Order: sequence, then structure tokens, then C-alpha cells
Amino acid sequence: MKITGIMVYYYFVCKRKLWYFSKDITMEHNSELVEIGKILDEYSYNRKKKSILVDDIINIDFIEDWKIIHEIKKSKSIEEASIWQVKYYIYMLNKLGVEIEKAIIDYPLIKEREVIDLKEKDIVEMEKVLDEIKNIINSKNIPKDMVRKSICNKCAYYELCYV
Amino acid sequence: MYVILIYDIKTDEKSPRIHRNIFKICKKYLTNVQKSVFEGELSRAEELKLKMELKPFIRKDKDSIVIFKSRSNKWLDKEFWAMEDDKTSNII
Amino acid sequence: MKETFYITKSGTLRRKDNNIVFENSDGTEVFLKSEKMDELYLFGEIDLNTRLLNFLSQMGITLNVFNYYGYYSGSYYPRESKVSGYLLVEQVKTQIDLPRRMKIAKEIVCSAARNIYRNLRYYNKREVDLSVAMSEIEYFISKIDEMENINSLMGIEGNIRKIYYDQWTKIIKQDVEFEKRVKRPPDNMVNTLISFLNSMMYTTVLSEIYKTQLNPTVSFLHEPGNKRFSLALDIAEIFKPLIVDRMIFSMLNKKQITKSHFIDKSRGLELTDVGLKILLGEYENRLKKVLKHKGLKREVSYRYLIRLECYKLMKSVIGEKRLRRF
Repeated sequence: MKITGIMVYYYFVCKRKLWYFSKDITMEHNSELVEIGKILDEYSYNRKKKSILVDDIINIDFIEDWKIIHEIKKSKSIEEASIWQVKYYIYMLNKLGVEIEKAIIDYPLIKEREVIDLKEKDIVEMEKVLDEIKNIINSKNIPKDMVRKSICNKCAYYELCYV
Repeated sequence: MYVILIYDIKTDEKSPRIHRNIFKICKKYLTNVQKSVFEGELSRAEELKLKMELKPFIRKDKDSIVIFKSRSNKWLDKEFWAMEDDKTSNII
Repeated sequence: MKETFYITKSGTLRRKDNNIVFENSDGTEVFLKSEKMDELYLFGEIDLNTRLLNFLSQMGITLNVFNYYGYYSGSYYPRESKVSGYLLVEQVKTQIDLPRRMKIAKEIVCSAARNIYRNLRYYNKREVDLSVAMSEIEYFISKIDEMENINSLMGIEGNIRKIYYDQWTKIIKQDVEFEKRVKRPPDNMVNTLISFLNSMMYTTVLSEIYKTQLNPTVSFLHEPGNKRFSLALDIAEIFKPLIVDRMIFSMLNKKQITKSHFIDKSRGLELTDVGLKILLGEYENRLKKVLKHKGLKREVSYRYLIRLECYKLMKSVIGEKRLRRF
């Protein structure tokens, strides 16, 4: 199974969510936050935005001269996950022979941006992460670690997990 | 949340078209209870979508849209002082 | 929360201005909020076209059609958007593994029986003595675990239901001539109410199943795919006592529904227009009613409880956690 950018993101957010998602048990359609994000996408960036899909793996919000990737996020709440998601895009595009200089994460709602690049040590870490993702999505059983984290409350999978 | 939306479109040569568009959009989300008055339940996402859909038609310097919000229609007493109607009922 | 619309009148239903409009036979137009709608019920004689059906599908709206006064005839569903091959395989694997199937089927019968018991307990405090029936039901509940096949489990379920229905004339304070459950055609007020509301319950459950990745044909208590979407029948068992039966008791006892809301037809006793509207209003209210869910620490509506039951079933199908009692 192909590992997508969203899977890398979910790996850092919640391993259960990653597992459900990999089995097509999706819940995003129930989430008001996801819906608000979609509406914002549709109406606020529609002129500038050219979203690019590479091999079903990479879904980049837009790209400058095939050198700089732009990813738009609503909030910094799960910043680490967003950073690794764009690092994965750089990693994969580099593998495909596209030399990406850097990535920029835009947070239009808080008017901030963050510049990300892929260092040598990130590549090592990335490969470890990808192995772990493969283990999780190929596993018959869902990861057990369920903690009532603060992020669970806003998660689209909350009811499924805790019922 | 439960909302009441009212609007006023400044009358000029463009206003009939604007009025028509605003009216059509509002009717997809809310019940038209009087001429330029709508009411109904909206989620935050629906409110945002309605706002985004209306945006291109509103002339910021001429027209006015006001939305009253309440957490639920339980917190809103409604009385009919004349003719009573059940326009907001979903059973037709 | 999305909304349900019910059309009891006859007329035409069309797509107009990216919205759905109902045109009465006298020409008046009513716009139905297309952005808010997720279910539409038709009871009257209504003309519509594929342009409307395509729009319903695009907006993710389910259409349920009932024929004259209360017989369910079918539904039009938007193209399935939530499918999981993995979950389907697990659902089927669970179904054909008898011990696992029995475990889920028992949970369903047990949850339904507990809800039946609760209804009796509620009315037992009020003037009538239902204690004998209650202890009989308790006895049958204790036997559920011992059942080794679906037939014997169905037998227990049938016994519980028989005892339960025998108490209805004691609970209901109107003269309803309810001797036993008669389906085709319903021969008295209570049977007409049960038939109609059970069909409503079935459509509600089915629309909640469609919001999950569960496959509605693969069921555990009922045999799969027997004419209807049998998983909806399974889950409806749990909710009928909780929603439908309580509603019948309360409406008859408060005289919100009386003989005047029925007409005697050759096909049995049918609801009048006014009766239908009253029932739909009350049904809608009950589905919207919220309660505090202890496990989730959240307010949930009765309708959402049905979805939660689907989630529990999904978890037990993927072997995540034992299906808990409702």
C-alpha cells in the first residue's frame, strides 16, 4: 500500500486514526472542523490555488517553479505532524528527481508562515517513520494506545474510539 | 445555533438582481418567514458557507445583512401577534 | 445537524435555483432548504423527475417513499460514498463465524429486551401491576446466553415480545381493542401505529447505517438480505421499544392520538392526514431529543444513539472491543 502525505500526518497525530484511515474507515465527513477547512479552501484560495496531485501520494496545495512547496494549514495545533507531512513531500519529490529547495507552511488565519527543509538526519528519521507506518497499516489489529488526549475531543473519530 | 437573518438592499438599477440572488441563496439554508427575514438552525460550517456564498453579491457600502444568533431556539421566545403560520415546520 | 423534511400533500417536486421546491396542487411553492436537508419523506402523490433525483444524489439526500397512508415502498439513496472493503470482509467473516455471529445477535436481543423491560418498569409504577410480566422477561433475558443457535435465540425473542404485547392493553388507557400484533393488514389503532412507526424506524436506522461503512445487507440476528436491508432490522430491534413503543404509549394516553385519526378501509385501519402529521411531528421530536451519554461525556440525540450503535457494531466486527450493552 502506498503511503500518502495524510498518512504521515496522521502518524504524528494519532496511530489509531492512521489505522482506521488506512482501512478506509474514514470519519472526516462528520467533522465540522474538516468541513470548515473545506469551505475555506474552496472560497478563499480558489484563485491563487493550484493543487497538485502526484501519484496519489502527494497532494500539494501549490508549488513555485517546482522548487518551493506551499502547504496551507488552519492552525498550529499539531505543528509537528504538518512539518513531517511536508518533509515527506520533499523526500518523495527528491526521490522522483524533483529538486525541492524548501517548503513553506502557511497559516493564513494566524498570518504566519514557517519555512521547512529536509536535512540529512531528517531522511534517516523519515525512513524509520515510514517503516513504522507500514507496520501499523499492515497490522490486523488496531493500535491500542488510546489516551483521552486533549486533541481527541475535536477529532472526527472521537465517537468511534470512545463509544 | 439558531439564527434570524435580515437584509436591506439599497434600491437602484442593480438592486433587483442582487435581491434575487441573496434571496435564492438564503432560501437554501434558512426558512423565509417574511419578505427579507429568514430563520433557522445553522451549524458553524453552514453559517460560514452561507456567508461565503453571499459575499460576491453584497455591495459593502450600500447593502446590509444582519444576523441575530442564539444558541438554540429554546432560548428564543416566539409569538405571533397576528396571523399564525407554521412556515418553519419541516412537515408539509 | 441536518434536517428531515416530510411531504404529506400531493403535488410536484422540482429542482429550482439550486434548491428543492415543492409545488402544491393549488400552485403555491414551498422551498425546502437543500443545504440543510439530509432526508426527505414523501407520503402524498408526487411527481418528480431525474433532474431532481440527480440533485438529491449530489446533495447527499436520501428519499424515502411511502404509499397511501403509511406503507413503506422504498428509498432512493445517493451513490455510496463511504465504503471500506476491509470492513465488508470483516463483517462477512464475523457473520459466517457462528460463535461470533451469535455473540452479536445475543447482544441485540438482550439490548432490545432490556429496553422492553424498562418500558414495563416505567408503567409498573403507575397504577398497573406488570410485575409478573417483568419477572418473566427477566427470566428469558437470563436464558439468552445459553442459546446456541439463531432459531432458539429467535424463540426467546418471540416469547419476550409476546409477554410484552400482552401488557399493552394494561398500559394504554384508551379502548384500543389490541389483542395481538397483526401486520397485514393492521386491524386496529395500535397495530396501525406499530406498523407505520416501525417502518419509519427502519428507514431512520438505514440512513444512519449509510453514514457508516457498514454494509446494510449483512446482518447478524436476522438472516442476511431477506428482502430488506436486514442489518437495519437488527439495529431497529434495539430502538423500537425505546422510541416507537414509548411514543405510542404516551400519545395514546395523552389522547394526542384517538380514533378520530384513523379511517377504516378495506386494507385495514389507516391514518388520516391529520393523524399522519401529528405522528411525524412527534417522531421527529423524539429523534431530536438529547440525553447525556455517559461514556462519551457528550450530549447526543436519540437519532445519534443509532449511529453510535453502528459504531459499536463496527468495532465488534473488526474485533476491537466487545459490543457493550446499550
